[in-house]
Amino acid sequence: MMGIVLFKVALVVYLASAVVYGGSLWGRRVMPARFATGLMFAALVIHTASFLSRWLAEGMIPAISLYDVLSFFAWVMAASYLLMQLRTKTRVLGAFVAPVISVIMVIASVELGGRVGASAILKGYLVTAHVMLSITGEALFAVASCAGIMYLLQDNLIRQKKEGSLIRLFPSLRDLDRINYLCLFWGFPLLTLGILAGSFWARIVWGSHWQWDSKQVWTLLAWGLYAFLLHQRIVIGWQGRKAARWSLMVFTALAVLLIVGKLFFQTAHDFM
Amino acid sequence: MQLVLIGMNHKTAPLEIRERLQLSSGDVERALPELMRLTEIREAICLSTCNRVEVISRVTDGEQAVAGLKSFIYGQGNLDIAELERCLYVYRDLEAVRHLFRVTSSLDSMVMGEPQILGQMKEAYRTAVDQRTTGVLLNRLSHHAFLVAKRVRTETGIAGNAVSVSYAAVELAKKIFGNLKGKSVLLIGAGEMSELAARHLLRQGVGRILIANRTYVRAEEMAALLQGTPVAFDRFPEVLPEVDIVIASTGAPGYILTKDMVATALRRKRDRQLFLIDIAVPRDIDPAAGEIENVYLYNIDHLQDVVDANREVRKTEATKAEEIIAEEVTAFEKWFNTLAVVPTIVALRGKMEGIVRGEMERSTRWLGGLETEERLRIEGLAASIVNKILHDPITGLKEESREKDELPYVAAVRRLFKL
Repeated sequence: MMGIVLFKVALVVYLASAVVYGGSLWGRRVMPARFATGLMFAALVIHTASFLSRWLAEGMIPAISLYDVLSFFAWVMAASYLLMQLRTKTRVLGAFVAPVISVIMVIASVELGGRVGASAILKGYLVTAHVMLSITGEALFAVASCAGIMYLLQDNLIRQKKEGSLIRLFPSLRDLDRINYLCLFWGFPLLTLGILAGSFWARIVWGSHWQWDSKQVWTLLAWGLYAFLLHQRIVIGWQGRKAARWSLMVFTALAVLLIVGKLFFQTAHDFM
Repeated sequence: MQLVLIGMNHKTAPLEIRERLQLSSGDVERALPELMRLTEIREAICLSTCNRVEVISRVTDGEQAVAGLKSFIYGQGNLDIAELERCLYVYRDLEAVRHLFRVTSSLDSMVMGEPQILGQMKEAYRTAVDQRTTGVLLNRLSHHAFLVAKRVRTETGIAGNAVSVSYAAVELAKKIFGNLKGKSVLLIGAGEMSELAARHLLRQGVGRILIANRTYVRAEEMAALLQGTPVAFDRFPEVLPEVDIVIASTGAPGYILTKDMVATALRRKRDRQLFLIDIAVPRDIDPAAGEIENVYLYNIDHLQDVVDANREVRKTEATKAEEIIAEEVTAFEKWFNTLAVVPTIVALRGKMEGIVRGEMERSTRWLGGLETEERLRIEGLAASIVNKILHDPITGLKEESREKDELPYVAAVRRLFKL
């Protein structure tokens, strides 16, 4: 119960942080963004406490219900964003990250009353690892996309040479590019490990690594695109606009495919 | 309030007069004790920069002090008195407070929002403290002024943005590259403007400066000045892939940096960002080059637009700053008023105690017959009656001084008791 209360408090603080970030954009001042970063940190601490208290109450890492998964997704986004603030001061980027976190938290809170107990088939360390790793990878890709959107906006602003005060407010292109890169760099191997864990588990319970499940297909497709993007970045030296655009396109494709897949196809992942 | 501020600045006095009156820090140290020798002056601070000379002082007699201060200033520069008279301004009391707050907050500066003036004012205050020429009033006033400057700086955007073309270019470069440490710059054309911009960039930690100029000797000269490397003029397209920022300022009639050159360089740079700054008129860089991905091209008009917009921002921010200053002047006045009421209270008490002492002496004849203990008791009784009577008026005076701008009670008490 404690976990739920803490979760709701965290949700409210995330929302507050998103609003204050919005104020920073609206008033074109960095000061509110600093305050909002502090709020987001507070929310993250509360969120972590909620996560831990659920873990203790359930006796296992809560990673099965849609609520748990979405909540964890938001947690990774907040944690990775704040972690990156230690190295690059891109405070206003939070104005793009915080609303996404808030929306995910709101959806998670709607799912709060949903099915909690999952079938016995979905218990075990491999399933937990599969879910946690994949979600972490995807959450990092989400942060990469936020940085990508902001990169494209800032690039346009600098090209159009008009909105001086916005150019000044937005982070530098280099910092945004760097965050985009770091998120891909760490997200990709984590997603890879997550997929592998899932396929090992599938082998154990279904007898085969691969089921031609719609979600498996889409994820593998997105994985391939991310592999290509990371390759281009590291080997060919892609950066800036092209890299930002690609990471945004691939993430949008992944999100759309997963939603469409969930709506129109039968999937072994239908529990989430 | 017995506060007088006398001075001149870049708006009231031409450079010839300012430069003759400008005092070095050593001069200020000598001038302060000299000022204090004027009988009307109790406290003084002297601020002297290339744009202004200001003397702020607490005085006993306003008119005499102004005359004394003026003759002191005339004595500094050996200048024609009539001419000087036109350049000087005199502010008294709250006007002086307001002026000082505006100066320290850089609202009165030539480039509004520039940060140096606060440091110069702090230095002037420190010198005055060292020379022991400050007291309660000026100490409080100075600290209040520093506080106001800080408030203005943090609560308004007055100091937020570049107001010179070369600085605007540096700010943009930072928005593209984040940190300029280790970046390379190519100057095409070794003019004054490009030198200024290059110096700004160097201060930001730019690693390497390459200089290409049609006259090679000039390139070498400037390279020596900026610790850069000269490059033969026709070789500059070859070094283009090595640099991150290009500043073009040649007198060439047509484009010397074409879109093709930039595209080729960018391919060899593996698409890393390139910032092109064209400050030449007519332009040096083909505008089409700015269409290439990861290339950012600004010409002199674009930069001037940025600067103009920033100036506008500073102007609107200045109104906010004036509001802050008005607020703070009122706050200072409140503090000062509590100070002004103190002498009245002291005088009132003094008068009452004097009466008690006088009456006791007049009654020595029959008091003499009493025991010492009894006499002390009567003295105590008189003192406590005085205290009881004075308690409410004094509380009233103190309250009034905190709440009201004008002090009718103080005036009334002074008249009624002939203080």
